[in-house]
Amino acid sequence: MQQSNTDSEHRTTAEHSRGENVVNDPNTPTHAMDLGSVVRARDQYHLAEEKICLSIRDFNLYYSDKQALKNINLDIPEKRVTAFIGPSGCGKSTLLRCFNRMNDLIDNVRIEGNIKLHEQDINENQINIAELRRRVGMVFQKPNPFPKSIYENVAYGLRIQGVKSRRTLDMAVEKSLRNAALWDEVADRLHDNALGLSGGQQQRLVIARAIAIEPEVMLLDEPASALDPISTLKIEELIYELKSKYTIVIVTHNMQQAARVSDYTAYMYIGELIEYSDTNTLFTNPKMKMTEDYITGRYG
Amino acid sequence: MSELTSRPSLLPDFNAPAAVSYRRWRGIKDRAARHLMALGGISVLIAIILIAFYLLYVVLPMFRPAHIEVLVQYDLPGNPEESTVYYAIEEQHEIGLRASESGDLYFFKTAEGTLIKSVNLFEAHQDDITAFSAGDPTQGLLAFATGKGTVLLVQHRYRVTYPNDVRLITPAVEYPLENKPVVMDVNKNPIRLIAAQAEDNQVSIAAAVADVIIRLSTFSKETSLISDETTVQRVDATITMENPVIKMVMDIEQRELYVADNRGNISYFDISNKTAPRLVQKVHAVPDGTVITSLEFLAGGISILVGDSRGTITQWFPVRDQENNYTLQNIRNFRSLKAPVVTMAPDYSRKGFTAIDKQGYIGIYHTTAHRTVKKQRISEEPLTFVAVDPRGNAMLVEDSSQQLQFWQVENEHPEISWRSIWGKVWYESRQQPEYIWQSSSASNDFEPKFSLTPLAFGTLKAALYAMLFSIPLAILGAIYTAYFMNARMRAYVKPTIEMMGALPTVILGFLAGLWLAPFIEKNLPGVLMLMLLLPVTMLISAYLWQFLPKRMRQYIPEGWEAAILIPIILLAGVAAIALGRPVENLFFAGNMPLWLTNVVGINFDQRNSLVVGIAMGFAVIPTIFSISEDAIYGVPKQLTTGSLALGATPWQTMMGVVLLTASPGIFSAIMIGFGRAVGETMIVVMATGNTAIMDMNIFQGFRALSANIAVEMPESEVSSTHYRILFLAGLVLFAATFLFNTIAEIVRQRLRTKYSNL
Repeated sequence: MQQSNTDSEHRTTAEHSRGENVVNDPNTPTHAMDLGSVVRARDQYHLAEEKICLSIRDFNLYYSDKQALKNINLDIPEKRVTAFIGPSGCGKSTLLRCFNRMNDLIDNVRIEGNIKLHEQDINENQINIAELRRRVGMVFQKPNPFPKSIYENVAYGLRIQGVKSRRTLDMAVEKSLRNAALWDEVADRLHDNALGLSGGQQQRLVIARAIAIEPEVMLLDEPASALDPISTLKIEELIYELKSKYTIVIVTHNMQQAARVSDYTAYMYIGELIEYSDTNTLFTNPKMKMTEDYITGRYG
Repeated sequence: MSELTSRPSLLPDFNAPAAVSYRRWRGIKDRAARHLMALGGISVLIAIILIAFYLLYVVLPMFRPAHIEVLVQYDLPGNPEESTVYYAIEEQHEIGLRASESGDLYFFKTAEGTLIKSVNLFEAHQDDITAFSAGDPTQGLLAFATGKGTVLLVQHRYRVTYPNDVRLITPAVEYPLENKPVVMDVNKNPIRLIAAQAEDNQVSIAAAVADVIIRLSTFSKETSLISDETTVQRVDATITMENPVIKMVMDIEQRELYVADNRGNISYFDISNKTAPRLVQKVHAVPDGTVITSLEFLAGGISILVGDSRGTITQWFPVRDQENNYTLQNIRNFRSLKAPVVTMAPDYSRKGFTAIDKQGYIGIYHTTAHRTVKKQRISEEPLTFVAVDPRGNAMLVEDSSQQLQFWQVENEHPEISWRSIWGKVWYESRQQPEYIWQSSSASNDFEPKFSLTPLAFGTLKAALYAMLFSIPLAILGAIYTAYFMNARMRAYVKPTIEMMGALPTVILGFLAGLWLAPFIEKNLPGVLMLMLLLPVTMLISAYLWQFLPKRMRQYIPEGWEAAILIPIILLAGVAAIALGRPVENLFFAGNMPLWLTNVVGINFDQRNSLVVGIAMGFAVIPTIFSISEDAIYGVPKQLTTGSLALGATPWQTMMGVVLLTASPGIFSAIMIGFGRAVGETMIVVMATGNTAIMDMNIFQGFRALSANIAVEMPESEVSSTHYRILFLAGLVLFAATFLFNTIAEIVRQRLRTKYSNL
């Protein structure tokens, strides 16, 4: 009870700190408004002062012969929200999926360069992919709960890590669901099928499932693009809260969303990283003309 | 830009004739397609329902009760002053016979009761008749005993001629011994009771000449080989009883004599040695205070029926025990009559009989089915006589008001009851109640054994062994193909296995019966070792694979690792078969099937369930594989990636998410495979040996419902009980496959709604 009180207080403060227009209409087309007003007032972030979680160096990726990522150099800071934006097909999701090697599942993918997670090259032969993916969790665009109960969905990650104790599982499930701001809605039907939840609830369940195994990094691949505005808002609030514990990388099409939730933003275009800086700077004072054109809606 | 937008619409005007007629034509096509599809669907439903109804239409008459209807009633034919001792009807039920107490035989037309011929047997002898009995109805033997200790035997026969193409039946009387009474008692004591039988060249007469003395005489006719003279040999014996005898019957083969006394006992004599009759057993057949009122043989001369003063009819026959001793046992009871049984008339060629009682009730029964086919009160007066015709289509009933009724009987399938089809039945000459399928034999008075239980058992056994073989192979194969296999390899493997499903089962059947069965018999230890060796070899090779030098491993394209198992499996197979011979010599005395039979006590048939399991497994593997492969392959990719992204290994993902999501599909695959195995015919016909035994032993054959229909249908007489029961077997199969497919379909539908929002 204590926990949930603090949660709701927290949320109220978070809502206050953003503009009114965000609450009322988060999905208004980007180019029709002044993005500067969306970026919330906050501490100025400086990449140079951050502790780096993921560092990407000279990274190239090829699908067969087609190059999808071109010489990417990027440092992703710890316990911050980093957003990747850019038009469709620019490679932002591909890059995201490199961080937990989900691209391994696709045939004929070839990579060059390296990605380090806390100084460890994740593409090394010795690395255990399953262990890497436990440390780097991922949430997909479309909610993908398993056809099991809500409880079992959250417990799944722990079970595959070999946790058997009922007590540990109970506690982990409750904690994860509370952290994902879903506990109050599902506490009395933990053993119902997860597919009976609404889309927004399913997505928060998937986030709860991901945080249950206590990853270091959370990759969110357009986590709200399939959801209605209210659910989108809840997910964004959740992201805001989660960044105190996790490094979060989010891919989004919605520039407002990037502006609202992220601390750093990278703009990509056809496989190249065009501009990367703290979100305030990128949205208010982009260095590149291409970036400005994109965020003001000239194309994309 | 502005030019493009300002141009008039490229579409024709909505009301233009071309647009209107196009829309109309489109509408017609749409409606036609809809109706055609509806028609198709409804036709399929109607066809299935019609099939089910046709099966029911053929099957249902078996369960209907008999129908009897009185055709005509008339005064007793012949001299009504003389009381009747016996009635008979010939095969076409045109002519009836009434035998009277003074030895007159009256042949009459059953349709109107007019006399055709009367014969006075005793005119010349002037003897008074003191006892009468009829032999087996098929022989038409009548025995009249006189007050002077003599017996006259006659047979009534019918000759059928077709003058002017009209059937004419002429009754005649013949004498099996000679046209004069034989002396049974030299002291000329009146005979109180008599039993006689005549078959082939032997006639036996048992006559009670006093309350407790029975004289037994047997006459054997021998025809000399040189001249055509026949000589008759007579052998005599005497039996002394403890209590006065009241009923006596002898079987047609003249080996057994059953005597009922006034205390309710039945004495069972073995009279196969005609000079020394032996009392085998004396049983108390009815409770104290009850009197035996009727004693008759059932057709075939094995069972006796005992009717008593309570109205109960009991069936008895001698049962052989372990030491080959026979004891008379009470098999089953019929209690539907409530008044003393007057007499019983057994059917000529089946195990049914008709009984009448003192309250005017008539009951038609069947012993094997333990069924009262009909019970009806047909007269207010006590009934006195009943006779049935050889085909069971008509009967004559006399009541105490000296009226004779001629009845039509419709009683085609008395031998069928729920119990006789599914339950254990105590058949004649068997040691205990059993499930037996034995639909026909050469003899007419054979008791048909129509138990579907061993056949249903055979079907399930076949399906079970086939599933045991095919489920692991098909489902594990499907898991590997759908989830782990390289996409290019899958493109070859899946169609190949599905093509196996197009293989005609008759080919699988004769391969199994003519090649595999002898092969397994010759190489039994090898084949059994193969089943063990194959999985072990595969596991060992998979383990050794990782130790292979990297350079060698690179030769195998990624995802094709499984292909290198093919030569290894072939090698293991050859090795197992080759090893089988020495193993057989070493441990199984050179012949494992023989060793199994002699040492372990397990019977080994060449065409056994192992062979069928493998052959039918091949027939159902494509079905199960294909459906479950689709189910596994159809598991949404976002679920597998979701699980992998949580740090699960591919194996954990498969066990935890993929199989769970695909489980209803896999279940329905198994159900459909099971349905197919249940209905499969050609393989079981050709590879099982078709013996209807109930034994789970994998080395023995069986007879399946479907194989039984295929084998027996061509020989069964249309509309006979056998024919209808084969249809019943078909209906059972239909219901079973319908059930399995319905379960599979329900599960699949539930899956569809459950995962529709994935």
